[in-house]
Amino acid sequence: MGHYVVRRLLQAIPLMFIISIFLYGLVNLAPGGPLAGRGSSKRLNPEQIAILKRQFGLDKPVCVRYVYWLIGNDWTKPVEEIPKPSVGVFAPIIQCLDPRSYLLSESPGVGKGVLRGDFGNSYRTRKPVLDIIKTSFKNSAYLMSITLVVVAIIAIPVGVISAVKQYSIFDIIVTTLSFIGQAIPEFWLGLILILIFYVWLKNPLTGDSLLPPGGMYTQGMAFSLIDWTKHLILPVTMGVVGWVTWYSRFLRSSMLDVIHQDYVRTARAKGLTLNKVYFKHALRNALLPLVTIFALDLPYIFAGSLYVEILFSWPGMGRLYYQAAVDRDYPMLMAILTLITLIVILSNLLADIVYARLDPRIHYD
Amino acid sequence: MIDIQPQLPREVTMRQLIWRRFRRHPGAIMGSIVLSCIILACTFAFLSPYDPYKSNLSERYHPPSLEHPMGTDALGRDLMTRVLYGGRVSLAVGFSVMVITLVIGIPVGAIAGYFGGRIDNILMRITDAALALPSLLVLILLGAILREVDAPWLKSNPVLTIAFVIGILAWMFTARLVRASYLTIREMDFVSATRAMGGSNLRIIALHIFPNAIGPVIVEATLEIAYAILEESGLSYLGFGIQPPTPSWGNLLSNAQEYLIKYPWLAIFPGIMIFLSVISINYIGDGLRDAFDPHKVLIKMGEV
Amino acid sequence: MYKKNSWFTIFGVLVLIGLLSSGCSTGTATPTTEQPGTAPTEAAPTEVTAPTTVPEKSQITVVIAEDPPTFNGAINQSGFDTLVMELAMLGLADLDEEGNAYPELAAELPTVENGGVVIDEENGTMDVTWKMRQDIKWEDGTPVTANDLVFTYEAVVDEETGYWIPGIDYVDGVEKIDDYTAVVHYNVIYPGYLTQFGGYLMVIWPAHYCDAEQGFSSWDCGLQPLSNGPYVLKEWVQNDHLTFERNPNYHEAGKPTIDEIVVKIIPDGAVRKQMLINGDADLDMWTSENIVAELKDVPNVEVSLSPVDRWVMRIFFNLAAKGTTDPVATPHPINSDLRVRQAIQMAIDTKTIAETFWFGYAKQVWTEFFRPPYNLCDVPQPIYDPEAAKALLEEAGWIDQDGDGVRECHGCTTGAEDGYKMEMEFITYSEYGETLDLTQEYIAEKLGEIGIKLTISRVEGTVLWESSENGGIEQSGNFDFDIWDDGYSGSDPTDFLWGYYASAAAEPDYGINYGRYLNPEIDDLIDQAYTLDEDLRKDLFCQMATILNRDLPELLLFTTVDANAHSSRLQGVQSNANEIVTWNVSDWTLK
Repeated sequence: MGHYVVRRLLQAIPLMFIISIFLYGLVNLAPGGPLAGRGSSKRLNPEQIAILKRQFGLDKPVCVRYVYWLIGNDWTKPVEEIPKPSVGVFAPIIQCLDPRSYLLSESPGVGKGVLRGDFGNSYRTRKPVLDIIKTSFKNSAYLMSITLVVVAIIAIPVGVISAVKQYSIFDIIVTTLSFIGQAIPEFWLGLILILIFYVWLKNPLTGDSLLPPGGMYTQGMAFSLIDWTKHLILPVTMGVVGWVTWYSRFLRSSMLDVIHQDYVRTARAKGLTLNKVYFKHALRNALLPLVTIFALDLPYIFAGSLYVEILFSWPGMGRLYYQAAVDRDYPMLMAILTLITLIVILSNLLADIVYARLDPRIHYD
Repeated sequence: MIDIQPQLPREVTMRQLIWRRFRRHPGAIMGSIVLSCIILACTFAFLSPYDPYKSNLSERYHPPSLEHPMGTDALGRDLMTRVLYGGRVSLAVGFSVMVITLVIGIPVGAIAGYFGGRIDNILMRITDAALALPSLLVLILLGAILREVDAPWLKSNPVLTIAFVIGILAWMFTARLVRASYLTIREMDFVSATRAMGGSNLRIIALHIFPNAIGPVIVEATLEIAYAILEESGLSYLGFGIQPPTPSWGNLLSNAQEYLIKYPWLAIFPGIMIFLSVISINYIGDGLRDAFDPHKVLIKMGEV
Repeated sequence: MYKKNSWFTIFGVLVLIGLLSSGCSTGTATPTTEQPGTAPTEAAPTEVTAPTTVPEKSQITVVIAEDPPTFNGAINQSGFDTLVMELAMLGLADLDEEGNAYPELAAELPTVENGGVVIDEENGTMDVTWKMRQDIKWEDGTPVTANDLVFTYEAVVDEETGYWIPGIDYVDGVEKIDDYTAVVHYNVIYPGYLTQFGGYLMVIWPAHYCDAEQGFSSWDCGLQPLSNGPYVLKEWVQNDHLTFERNPNYHEAGKPTIDEIVVKIIPDGAVRKQMLINGDADLDMWTSENIVAELKDVPNVEVSLSPVDRWVMRIFFNLAAKGTTDPVATPHPINSDLRVRQAIQMAIDTKTIAETFWFGYAKQVWTEFFRPPYNLCDVPQPIYDPEAAKALLEEAGWIDQDGDGVRECHGCTTGAEDGYKMEMEFITYSEYGETLDLTQEYIAEKLGEIGIKLTISRVEGTVLWESSENGGIEQSGNFDFDIWDDGYSGSDPTDFLWGYYASAAAEPDYGINYGRYLNPEIDDLIDQAYTLDEDLRKDLFCQMATILNRDLPELLLFTTVDANAHSSRLQGVQSNANEIVTWNVSDWTLK
C-alpha cells in the first residue's frame, strides 16, 4: 500500500503541473482584465494603465508570466530597457523561446514563485494572496463542516431506515422529499428562506426578525453561542437540503445492496436479531461507499458554496473567488483554483486509501 | 390423434422486460407525463398570442389573471409566453449537454475500458485532471471567454455555447461509468468468442459490448439533463449564462429575485418549471435505474 | 475487529479537520489594525461599572456591496474605498453636493483673488499656494503639516510605486515653504487645481507613518490607516465588516456626534434593502432606482438624492467601422451618416424611458453642459418623432425593399454596398442592473420599429473598457452602438471633454474618444478652455455645445439618480454626485 500511495503522489505532481498551465491560460485568456476601471470610474486613463501593467507584471508575455508565477522573478536582472521584440505573427513564440525575456526585467522583481510558497499579491489589495485566502478558507471550512455534520446526522439514519423499511410510508415520504429537495435550485431556496425567516417571521419576544439575513455573527456583541448559531441556521439549511437528499438516497441504495446479499440472509437465518444484523453487519458495509463519497466531497468544504456565501454575505472562499473573477484578480484566481485542485487530488487519494483500509477485498499493487 | 400444441411461454426480449419494469414505476410514469407536457407546451409556445420580446409598457407587473395566466414582467410581456420560450432554451441546453457528455464520455470510457493499460492510464489521467477542476469556478471563466470569442456561429448560438461549457466539465462521470462497464464486460466469454471469430476491435466495442454497457449510461445521461438545467439556471442567475432578452428559466429567475415580495409570480413560475422538469427527469431516471437493475427482477419474484 | 471502529475514526477525523481549521475564526479581527498609540487616555465613561445611566454609544450600520480593497481611493476607484477613506482621512479640499469645493485641511481655498493662485500668462503656467490649517493632528498626536503634502506628492509621482491621478501630469513640483504652507507648480493653467490633492480620490497621507518604500500603490497604511478625520478605524474583518469609532481629537468641536459606525459587506441588493426596511441598516450606498422607488413608501426609510446629477446615460456611436479605429479610412457603414444618428435620436422616447423604467428619477439631458455654472447654452431639446425618423432614414438612402422590417442601403452615402442590412450590435455593461437592461431592450425595440435591427449584448465592464491590447471592446473599436453612463466630477469638465471629444484622444488607449470623433474645431476649443477665465470658458463651452449638437457624436439621453437610502433616524445624509456619501459624515446626527 505504501508503494501505491507514493506512486499516486508522484503521479500527482505532473498532473498538477499540467493543470496549473491550463488554469493559468484560462485565467489570463478570459477577455477583459484587471486594467479596466470599475465602480464609478469605468475606465482607466492610459497613464494608469501603463503604471498598473508594470506593477502587475502584465507587460510581459503570458509564457514569461507563467514562469514567474511558478518560480518567482527575484532572480531577474533589472535593465533600463528590454530589447523590443520583432513584430509579426511569430513574435509571441519567439519571445517565449528567447531566454532574455525571462532574465531581463525593467523593474526589480520581488516574487518568489509558487514553488517557494509565494502566490503573489492580489491586484485588488496589493497584499499577499495567501493571507487573504487563509481567513476566507477558515470561514468556508467552518460553515461547510457544520453543514456536512448536519447532513450526516440526518442522512444516515434516514437512509438506513428507508432501506430497512423499504416501501413503507416512511420510505415513500422520504423518497419523495428527496426528489423534491434535489429538484429545487439552490439559490432559489436561499431566497425563499430569507423571505420567510427574515422578512416575514418575527421573533415573538423582541419583534425583530426571527433570523439574521447574513454574516457570521453580530458585530460588537461579545461572543455568544446563540448568536453564532442563529447566523448559521439559514445558510446551513440552504446547503443541507441539496446534500442530505443525495446522501440519504445513496445510503439507502447502498444499504439495500448489502441487505440483499447472501450473508445477510445467512445471518438472519442463523437467528440473529434484526437490529443486530442491520446495524452491526450491514450498516458497516453500507457505509463504506459513503465514506468514499464523503472524502470526495471534502474539497467542497474548502471551496465553499458560492451561492450560499453570496446570498448570506458569508465571507468565505466562494465569494472571494467570485469577486476576484469580476475584478480579474489573476493572482487570487490562480491561488484559489490551484489550491482547490490540489485538495481535490489529495482527497481522491485519501478516498482510495480509506476505501482500501476499510474493505479487505481491495488491494492496490 | 389429437394434436396438442404445448403452450410455450411468449418470448420476452430484454427490451420488453426493461420497458415492463419501467412501466411499473409510478414515479417514472408521472415524470414522463409531466415532462412530456412541459416539452409539448414549450414546443408549441408559438401558439401564444403574445410576443415574448415585444414590450407593452402599460401592462407592466400585472399579477396572474385570465389574460396573463402567469402575469406580466417588467416590460409588460406575458410571463407565460416567456417561460415557455425560456423552457425551450433551458431544455435545449439540458439535452445538448447530455449529448455532449455522451459524445465525449462514451468514446473516452469505452476506449479506456476496453484497451486498458497505457491508453487507459492516459485517458484516466486526463479524466482525473478534468475532474479535479472546481467546476463552477472554471465555468464562470469559461463562460466569459466563450462569450467573447469572435466566431459568428458561436455568438448566434448561445444555447450551444453554454451547453458546450457545461458539457465539457461534465463528461467525466459518463466516461468513468462507461469505462467501468467495459472493464467488466470485456472479460466475458462472448467477447473472447467474438475476437476468436475475427471480430475487429471497433466492431466489438461498438456492436457487441456497447448494448450491454448501455444500461447505467442511459440512467446517467437522463440525470445529466437535470443537472444541466440546474447548472444553466445557476449560471444565468449569476449573470454568466444565457443573456437577456432571450429568456431562459435561469435568467428569468435572476431578474425576479429583487421583486420576490412585491411581484412574487416573477420568481415563482420559472422556479416551478425548473422544479417540475428536474423532478420529472429524476423520477424517470430512477425508473430507468430500476428497469435496468437485475436485482429488482429477483425481488419482485418473491425472493428477499 | 480493528476495522469496526475505523470508519468512525476516519469520519470523525475528517470532520475534526474541518472544524479545527475553522476554530480560530471566532471574532479575532484578523488583519488587525495596530492602533499606533491611540490617545491612551480612554477614560471613556462607558467603562464605569456604575449601574446608573451609562450613556449608550450611538451606532449606525452602513451596508455596502463589496469589501473596500484599501483606504486609498485613488488606486482602485471602486467607490467603496472612498467611502471608508472619507471616514478616516482628509484632503486639502473636498466637493460639496453642489460640486463646489470647500477647504478641509486647507485654511482657505487659494484663488486668484486672494493671491493663492498666481498665473504666468506669458509662459502659460501657474503656481498654487496652499495654506494649511494648524490645528489638525493625526490620531497619534503628530500635527498634519506641509511635510505630509510634499510626502504625498512624491509618493504619487514615484516611478516604481506611484500612481496617476488627474492633473498630476501638469504638476512640476510641490515645494514646501514652511510647516504649513506649500506651493504646487503647474506647467499649464489647470482649472481643476482645487481637488488636486483632495476630492473623492485623494487625501493627504502621513509622512511619518506610511512606508515610502512600499509606495503609494501598495503601502500598508492603506490598510491600517492613521486617521486625521472624524473617525478612527477600530477593526477590519476582511470581507465581513469594518468598525469605526469617533475620533475624540477631531478638529471640529462637538463633531462627529455618532460614536460608532459599522460598515457591513452585504453583496445582495435585495438583502440590503430588506435590512433598511427592518431597521438593521442605517445607510445603503448607491441605492439603485428601482429600490429607491420601492423604499419611497416605507415609513422608516428616507432617500437622499443628489441635487446635482453627474452620470449621464448616453449612446456611443462608433464612427469607424466595427473592429477598426479609423473613421476616415473605414467609416462605419451605418453610423457615419449624420442623418442616421439624427434619426436614431428622434426615435428614442427619452421621456417614457425616464418615467417608466427609472421611476421618474431620470432627467432628460441633451448636452454635456447641463450643470451649473455652464448650463447657459441654448441647445434645442430633441423631439421624439418616429415618423420623422423614418422619413429621414428614407432620405438617407436606407430603404426596406424586401419587406422584412429591416432597412437596407439603397443609395446610402456611407460607402456601404447596396443591400447592406441595417443591423447592428447593441452593447451595454451587465453590472448596472435591471433598469439599464430594460432600457436597452426598450430602445432596441423602438429602433426595430423604424427599421434598424439591433442584437443585444451585455458584457462585463472589464471586457468593455479594457485596453485595446487585451481586447477591450471600446478601445479596439469592436462595437457598433453602445449605451452606458458617464459624467465628470466636480465642476470642471475640461479633462472630461478632452477625453471624449479630442482628436488626439481617439488613438487607442490614449484617450476615451471611443467613437473616433475627429473635429479640429472642437480640439481648438478644448485647448482654449484650459484657462481660469470663467467668462471665456462659458463662451467656449457654448460654442462646443452647438457643434456637438450639430454633429451628434454621442447621444446624451438622461441622468441617472445618485441616491443613498437611509433610515429616518439618521439625519444629515446628503447624496453628492461628486463625492461618496460619507463626505459629510461629521455632520450626521441621530434623531
